[in-house]
Amino acid sequence: MEFLTFTFVSESPQIFTLQQVVSSIRKTIEERYNRTYWVKAEMHKLGRTRAGHCYPELVQKEEGKIVAEMRGTIWKHSFERINQRFMQVVKEPLKEDTTLLMNVKVSFHKIYGMSLQISDIDPNYSLGELQRERAETLKKLQKNGLIDANQGIDFPLLPKRVAVISADSSKGLSDFMKVINENSWGYRFFTLLFPASLQGDQAEHSIIAQLNKIKKVQSHFDIVAIVRGGGGEVGMSCYNNYNLCKAIATFPLPVLTGIGHSTNLTVAEMVSYRNAITPTELGDFLIQAFHNFSLPLKDAAKTIKVQSIQAVEVNKLQLGRSSSSFSAAVRGALGEEKLILNCAKNEIKAGAKERIVFFKERISQVERSMVSQGKMSLQLQHAQLRRITEQLSLHTKSSLLKNKNTFEHAVQSIRLMNPINVLKRGFSITTFNGKTIGESNNVKNGDVVSTRTAKFTIESEVITTKKADE
Amino acid sequence: MSKEIKYTEAFEELQQIVADIEDGEISVDELSVKVKRASELIKVCKTKLISTEEDVNQILKELED
Repeated sequence: MEFLTFTFVSESPQIFTLQQVVSSIRKTIEERYNRTYWVKAEMHKLGRTRAGHCYPELVQKEEGKIVAEMRGTIWKHSFERINQRFMQVVKEPLKEDTTLLMNVKVSFHKIYGMSLQISDIDPNYSLGELQRERAETLKKLQKNGLIDANQGIDFPLLPKRVAVISADSSKGLSDFMKVINENSWGYRFFTLLFPASLQGDQAEHSIIAQLNKIKKVQSHFDIVAIVRGGGGEVGMSCYNNYNLCKAIATFPLPVLTGIGHSTNLTVAEMVSYRNAITPTELGDFLIQAFHNFSLPLKDAAKTIKVQSIQAVEVNKLQLGRSSSSFSAAVRGALGEEKLILNCAKNEIKAGAKERIVFFKERISQVERSMVSQGKMSLQLQHAQLRRITEQLSLHTKSSLLKNKNTFEHAVQSIRLMNPINVLKRGFSITTFNGKTIGESNNVKNGDVVSTRTAKFTIESEVITTKKADE
Repeated sequence: MSKEIKYTEAFEELQQIVADIEDGEISVDELSVKVKRASELIKVCKTKLISTEEDVNQILKELED
C-alpha cells in the first residue's frame, strides 16, 4: 500500500490541497484494490435516482445489529442489465432488504468518497435465497399445523358473497368480475373490492391489512378471493412470505387465490382453500359451485314430479287391483259360506232324525227296564217284608219269654217285699194320722198312734218319746 | 347470517325429501304435503342463486366502527 509522502523541506509543514489528498487516496486504493471481488451483503435501500443510477446502502448484520455499512453504486446501464437478468431468473426485481451476492470494485470518488461499485449481482444466489425462504415458510407452517388450516373450513354451499382482494383496475380483477357477473345463468354474486398491492415489497403488508379488514365484517362474506393478473410473472416472492401465508391459512373464511403465473406454486397458493391459478379460472370455479347448487334443484324438481306421478299411478293400480280382487274374494267367501251352511243344514237334519230315533229307542228301553225293575223291586220288597215278619215273630217270642222271666222274678221279689209277709215275721208298723212316724210326722205325748201287726191293728196313746239310737 | 342458514337448510331438507321420495318412503297420504314443501324449498334456493341482499353501505359503516 502506498501512503502519502510527507517531505519536510523546512520547519514549516508542507501544505496539501484537498484534491491532492483525495487524489492520493484514490490512487492508493486503485492500486491496492485493483480487481473486482464477490461480496455478500444485504441491500438495505436501493436508492435509485431519477437519472437511473442507484446508490444502495449495503450492510452486514449480526443478530440484528449492523456490524458493517458501506455505500454502493450501480450505474444506470449496470442496473438495467442486472434487473433484466433478475426478472428472467428470479422472477423478481432487485429487492431491498435481501442478501445479494455482488461483484464489486472498491472505488473512491473525488467528491462522493468511498463506495462499492457494483457491476453485477448473481441472480442465482438470490433465487436460492428465495427458495430458501419458501422452504422455511413451508416448514414453519407445517410445524405450526397451519398448512391445511384454511382447507379444513367448510366451504359454503353458495360462495356468493365475495370479498375481493385485488389491485384496483387490474386486468386480473376485470377478468374475474366479467366471469362471475356476466354469466348466462343469471347467477348473482355480491362482491366488494378491498384494494391492495398484489406484488412486490408492498404486497405482504397490503394484503394482510385487507384480510384484517375483511375479518371485521366477515359475517357479510362467504369467501375471500385474492385476484392478481396482468402483472407478469414477477414480484411473486411475497406469496412465500410467512406472515402473509399464515394470515391466509388462519383466515376464518375460505381464501381462494387466482394470482396467475406458470412457475412454481407459491406457499400462499398452497395454503389457500383453493388455488385457481388465473382469475378467470377462479371465476369459473365459483360459477361451477353455483351449478353444483342449481343442478340438484332442477333434478329435485324433476325427480319429485316423476316420482310423485309414479307413486300416484302405482297406488291407483294397486287400488284397482285390490278392489277387483276384493270383490272376487267376497264372492268366493260368500259361496264358500253358503256351501258350508248347506252342509251344516243337511247334517243337522240327518243328525236330528238320528237323534230322534235314538231317543225314542232310549225311551222305550227305559220303559221296558222300568217295568222289569218295578217287578223286581216288588219281589225284593216282598221278600224283605217276609223276612222282616219272620224276624219280628222270632224276636217277639224271645222277648216275651225274657219279659216273662223278668216279670216272674219281679213278682217273687214283690211278694217277698209285701209288709204282710214282713209283719208275719213279727214286725209291726206304727202310723200317726195314717203316715209312718218320722221327722216330718212327729208325735207328741198324748197323740194316738195306730200299730199294725200281721193279725191286728192296735190303737195306743203316746206316753213318752225318746229318740232311738242311731 | 340467518338467511344463509335458511338456504343451506332448505337445500338439505330438499335433498332429504328427494331421497325419501326416491326410496319410496313417502306414502301417498304425505305425498302432497311433501311435494308442496319441496316446491317451497326449491323456490327459496332458486331465489338465492339469482339475488343478493348484502348492503355495501352497511359493510362500510361496520368497517369504520
